[in-house]
Amino acid sequence: MVLRKSGLAAAVILACSPAAFAGDLQINGFMNITAGMLSTEDIELDGYDDGVSFDNGSLVGLQLSKQVNDTTSATVQLISRGSQAYETEASWAYITYAASENTDIRVGRLRTPIFYYSDFLEVGYAFNWVRPPSTVYRLDSLSSISGVDFTHRFSAGGMDGSVQAYAGRYGGDLALGDDIYSIELRRAMGLVLNMSAGDFGARVSYHQAGLSIDANPAAAALVAANPTLTGVVPVRALDQLAAAGAQAGEADAFTADEDKSAFYQASVSYDNGSTSAIAEWTALKHDTALLNDDSGYLVSVAQRFSDYTVHLTYTANEDDLKSGNVGVVQGLAEAKENSVILGVRYDYDSGTAFKFDIQQHDEELVNGAEGESGTLYTVGMSLVF
Amino acid sequence: MKLFKTISRIAIAASLLIGAAVHAEVAVIVSASNGNGALDQDTISRIFLGKTSNFPDGSQAIPVDQTEGSASREAFNDKVLGKSSSQLKAYWSRLIFTGKGTPPKESGSDADIKALVAKNPNLVGYVDSSAVDGSVKVVYKF
Repeated sequence: MVLRKSGLAAAVILACSPAAFAGDLQINGFMNITAGMLSTEDIELDGYDDGVSFDNGSLVGLQLSKQVNDTTSATVQLISRGSQAYETEASWAYITYAASENTDIRVGRLRTPIFYYSDFLEVGYAFNWVRPPSTVYRLDSLSSISGVDFTHRFSAGGMDGSVQAYAGRYGGDLALGDDIYSIELRRAMGLVLNMSAGDFGARVSYHQAGLSIDANPAAAALVAANPTLTGVVPVRALDQLAAAGAQAGEADAFTADEDKSAFYQASVSYDNGSTSAIAEWTALKHDTALLNDDSGYLVSVAQRFSDYTVHLTYTANEDDLKSGNVGVVQGLAEAKENSVILGVRYDYDSGTAFKFDIQQHDEELVNGAEGESGTLYTVGMSLVF
Repeated sequence: MKLFKTISRIAIAASLLIGAAVHAEVAVIVSASNGNGALDQDTISRIFLGKTSNFPDGSQAIPVDQTEGSASREAFNDKVLGKSSSQLKAYWSRLIFTGKGTPPKESGSDADIKALVAKNPNLVGYVDSSAVDGSVKVVYKF
């Protein structure tokens, strides 16, 4: 949020510099218009309800990039999201220094490269779904960090690869359900290895950070002791969970003060031009008990018929509870879910795609109790320019 | 007479088609001063998709594209890269918005590409075979 103004300022500088007219200012953009509705209000998915909603996944992004000299360039990506009333923010703003032909160093606000699709998560044109399934793509709030990264590209035999390492920090809001938490990730770092050979690709990555969350069990305890304060003193889900932990004699486990969190990711992909497939597996491990460990994966296949691409995906996510009393309390927030997604993408021209997805979603467990199932219908138009 | 006219029309159309097919041969070219011999399709594809930035001899390789819509470009995308123009757009949109790559620069038609490539041993481009002369070296044909 702090970066919002400086990002715009940088964009203005970029746009107004005289060289902008010399043709070396690169402008690229993307846009998604998304509409969706759920068959039932018994489930919660991607912020949709049983009325048609247009704003959720809709966004416009503009990237301005300028080569400053032979080795240095500046890039700003401005995004207005429908889910945030189309307020413009700088998702990225960084300087790239080409240390060598195959090595780049970037400094600034970067996208955290946690998933296979992270780098282009909001560029709908780059993938077949209306949006990647949230059973796996579940850390939206943590998609940017301020820091530095290093990318080295290499070729060996018939294989091409890259290794990316980053370090930085993030401070801001984390939305979980209907609640907002103030969180901080310190000493965030990660390593990504990408390989491709012919039609095959593979990616593995590891990420970790010291996580702090402003959970406030005292608020929950206060309201529990004084029911008249219900609604007067705000109590969020994690405040309640932390209070329950304290009651069980495990108060320390249910705090997050620079507690280590780790994220593991592995994916394999295949694309021969007409048939493509991807499988991606991810897991989160937290030292704090406030957030449940979980693992999520997806398997997706797609077949192209001229301008049409039909795709089918199975995806699932399951919490993993800690042992003993702590795990019993965590069970209050336990979740398990799976989805089957059938979709079609139509490439209208080179730069415009229309998409339609049907997602059958089954909430096997919600807050430790059996959940419901329902269907999400989404349509989308994606542009790049 | 009418039948004869029709037949002659078909013959003309057929000869035009055959002529077009002969002229449609596309050559991948580097400067005459470039040290590399023939390149295989996989190497060319990797260079044009930004997966590698080196020729087999280790020198820097910079690909240049023809302007969108040219017949040579359509043929190159289809036969060498094996991708439709919308698939290529999707491929590059994965890289552009991450700062991890930019598509080859659109640099004009056969004559423009040949002139650029002839001058710079790091460039690699493709032109209609008929445009090839001694200033450039053909490393692949299709």
